[in-house]
Amino acid sequence: MVEDDATIADFVSKGLSESGFAVDVATDGEKGVELAVKGSYDAAIVDVMLPRLDGLALIDRIRARGIHTPVLILSARRTVDDRVKGLQAGGDDYLTKPFAFAELLARLQALIRRSTGQTEPTRLSLGDLSLDLLSRRAERAATPIDLRPREYALLEYLLRNQGRVLTKTMILSHVWGYNFDPGTNVVDVLVSRLREKIDRDFEPKLLHTVRGVGYVLKAG
Amino acid sequence: MNETSMIPRKEEPSARFGLRLASWYAVVFVATSLAIVLLTYRLLAASLEERDQQLVISTLREYSQRYADGGLRSLADAVEIEQRSGRQERLFVRVVRGSSESLFLSAPYAWNDFDVSRLRGLDGLEQLLSQSGTARLEVASARFPDGTLLQVGKSSENREALLARFRTVLSIVALVIVAVGLAGGAIVTRSTVQPIRRLITAVRDIIRTGKIDARVPVRPERDAIDELSGLFNEMLDRITTLIRGMEHALDNVAHDLRTPMTRLRGIAERALQSDDEQTHREALVTSLEESERILAMLDTLMDISEAETGTMRLDVSEVSIAEIVREVVELYEDIAEDKHIQVSTDVEPGLTVPADSKRLRQVLANLVDNAIKYTSSGGRVALSAHREGPFVRLDVADTGVGIAPHDLPHIWDRLYRGDQSRAERGLGLGLSLVRAIVVAHGGTVDVAAEPGRGSTFSVRLPADRQNTSITRV
Repeated sequence: MVEDDATIADFVSKGLSESGFAVDVATDGEKGVELAVKGSYDAAIVDVMLPRLDGLALIDRIRARGIHTPVLILSARRTVDDRVKGLQAGGDDYLTKPFAFAELLARLQALIRRSTGQTEPTRLSLGDLSLDLLSRRAERAATPIDLRPREYALLEYLLRNQGRVLTKTMILSHVWGYNFDPGTNVVDVLVSRLREKIDRDFEPKLLHTVRGVGYVLKAG
Repeated sequence: MNETSMIPRKEEPSARFGLRLASWYAVVFVATSLAIVLLTYRLLAASLEERDQQLVISTLREYSQRYADGGLRSLADAVEIEQRSGRQERLFVRVVRGSSESLFLSAPYAWNDFDVSRLRGLDGLEQLLSQSGTARLEVASARFPDGTLLQVGKSSENREALLARFRTVLSIVALVIVAVGLAGGAIVTRSTVQPIRRLITAVRDIIRTGKIDARVPVRPERDAIDELSGLFNEMLDRITTLIRGMEHALDNVAHDLRTPMTRLRGIAERALQSDDEQTHREALVTSLEESERILAMLDTLMDISEAETGTMRLDVSEVSIAEIVREVVELYEDIAEDKHIQVSTDVEPGLTVPADSKRLRQVLANLVDNAIKYTSSGGRVALSAHREGPFVRLDVADTGVGIAPHDLPHIWDRLYRGDQSRAERGLGLGLSLVRAIVVAHGGTVDVAAEPGRGSTFSVRLPADRQNTSITRV
């Protein structure tokens, strides 16, 4: 992780360590290049505004050296410039500050999954809840559950990220493709509908609300 | 700021420019006019001279005939008759035998000034300068077989007098021309340079004082300078709007963030005073929610400011209204169903507008969100879109609580919450954003509402790109 703000670097690296990652932190662009050259990493988190060498120049530098580690770019700019969008097209991703740690984690894992080319599962499950991605059928405790398209999309998203908190913004953009908050409670409505179907008549409850952050699918 | 040294130095170029313009105008005008005067004079002098010479030659021919026919006697009679008639100026007539013996001489007495003995008696015209050098005698001679010489001459005195008068008149004319030329130059300079100078003064005032509400005066003439002044004013207007908008936005953001920041601080302070872990957790959750709210507010305020000042980046393409309506209705389907609100759409097929699709979706989502929020169970929300002249009109109508008349003028204001609105969650920025985005697209948004019966929000967007004056800075 290349980030000059000590507090952000600290909370991200601690959070990632708790999620099972080993994290090295560089506080400026030059040190970031050094780290990337010396070590071998699954992914890099790079802030755009960095002392000595800015984030985008850092990416150019390491790409020129043949290092293709996927990069998650952090930007404090509200409008993301075209350069960053271009990098996104090239396989990297970006996140604007302030961000929820849950979202950073999800994006980072998606980046690593993409770059390592993990095979897609055909079936997702958690405890006695399962979702067949081919037949698009869901069941809990061997009871078929009838899902509407958006409920299905939400359940698939939650199952793929089980144990991880998903924010309302993440769900909104994943399920509806909206990348802005229309200031609605559509997500709450959808979540409570899904909860009705997968949790009401079953134990243990799987879909939990994490107040102030979002929702998580986990056993117990 | 160094005013005293800056102003005179800066005034110079325009003054110099004015002087140069004036002198050029004067020089060209005066030179041309004087050339015309001079030419006129020359032509007149030449034609007068030719007329005199013609007279001399024709008189000589006539007298020669007389002399040949009737000798000296006949010539003298003819000269006398001619002089008595007074038809014309007296001519010099002389008959000479040999080299100097004068047989006949008729000359005005004032001719003593001419030393006629110096006449050589050549054929054709001969000119003799008077002794005082003020006039010339133009003489034509004819020689007879008996050796006598007949000479007829005319003084240029009269002609010179006429020309002298003419010269006086022309000098007066020339003086007038020079005066008019200089005055004209000055007027041209004034009328040309003055507006430029006014422009310079206005710009300098703005730079010096930082007050951007000064304007350059525009005369009704509508020439190039006025057009420039007009454009300059227009540019100033734009800059003013932009700066006002930004100042306004900064003020608003600062003001609007203070309240939630205070809440955030209060939550943290209260949590610190307690030892109860549950209270701590509660405070942290509330802080998170509050920070989400602040972020959403900041984003929306920035959006509104950008749209209002015209700095919002609009990614304009032909947007299908049916598509946008379908997407937004889909987004609110579940909520509407939960609240038992019936959502209907009536969109004219094939309707498109040049717009930023993401922003347009934001507009519609905000309107539909409001409609559903303020409509109670069993109510209806209707979306319709039709072409209306050069506009596409999009209506979002509900059968909800409506808007109280005293709230109506304020619903577009930032952070205004009507009595109905206070009970609902939200930032109080939705309608401000809707209007800002619609206006940035060159459109308008209106509302018709009746308390207890419902509200209808109507968005009008230009249907053609040519009609769209999408604000860009």
